[in-house]
Amino acid sequence: MRRPDLDELDHQLIAILAQDARVSNRKIAADLGVNEGTVRGRIKRLQQEKLIAFTALTGLKLEKATNVAFIAVQADVSHVRHIARDIAHIPLVKAVMITLGPCNIMATCLYDDLDNLHRMASGQILAMEGVNHVETSLAVRTVKFSNRVVRITDAQTVSSL
Amino acid sequence: MSETFAFDETDRKIVEQLRQNGRATNQQIAESLNLIASTVSTRIRRMEDAGMLRVVAVSDFAVHGYHVLIHLAVQVSGRSALDVAEELAVFPEVFAAHLVTGSYEISLLLTLHDIDELPSLITDRLSKVPGIRSMIPAIGLDIVRYGLDTAPIDRRRLA
Repeated sequence: MRRPDLDELDHQLIAILAQDARVSNRKIAADLGVNEGTVRGRIKRLQQEKLIAFTALTGLKLEKATNVAFIAVQADVSHVRHIARDIAHIPLVKAVMITLGPCNIMATCLYDDLDNLHRMASGQILAMEGVNHVETSLAVRTVKFSNRVVRITDAQTVSSL
Repeated sequence: MSETFAFDETDRKIVEQLRQNGRATNQQIAESLNLIASTVSTRIRRMEDAGMLRVVAVSDFAVHGYHVLIHLAVQVSGRSALDVAEELAVFPEVFAAHLVTGSYEISLLLTLHDIDELPSLITDRLSKVPGIRSMIPAIGLDIVRYGLDTAPIDRRRLA
């Protein structure tokens, strides 16, 4: 993983924007005692280096699919990257990580009803060439989670990749 | 939080614009949706006040020095899985904790600064929590996609 070079001002900026991304550059500059151009330049750099992204977090009420499930996949090791990308293209799949462990892909997805989840896990993912086994776990309760710290991937506004 | 709050089509369009660029000005959003800026600002404030919208900067794991991600499948016995999960959730290295159905009871995502932290975290610290029967780790090698921006707003959070 990357080890970015960030100074105290960068961290202060990130903390302010993490609370409210719609605060103006002028107000941030005044609060931090730097000039507006500095704020603008720093924000631009943080965005370009994919260290921060601005997005809208909504309550799940806005979404049709509101339940979370984890799908663990055992895939042929030689095809794992390709299969992970195919799984990532399924619209309701929100996160995909390639892992070293009992399974080699972990996917997190949203679903509306069990029928659709089953169709996604057994119909789509298990049917992919090179997928040997799929195990689905339904999240019944979230005990801890942060949606403020993420992996900012290529070509991504956080919601829409 | 208002239980009766309902998003209409205009709200959804504004949210979609904000998802693309949370720092777009009210004027820019208004122009692309054929609205006036004051409507945009009123709508955004209304959704924020109802607890249904936050426009924020999200930051990469790397900003926080997290260079290692580990998924840990925890099997529980002799104790309520919720109690075990709540105790595990207190550890700063535990980034996410969910109770799940299936062959294990708790799904954890660990964020570490360095892989060297793993042995002592597992053997000296997490394993001291009563009720854990086994822990099966999967080391994150690459994140292909990550877009969990639609989770509930008011969960306990790290940052």
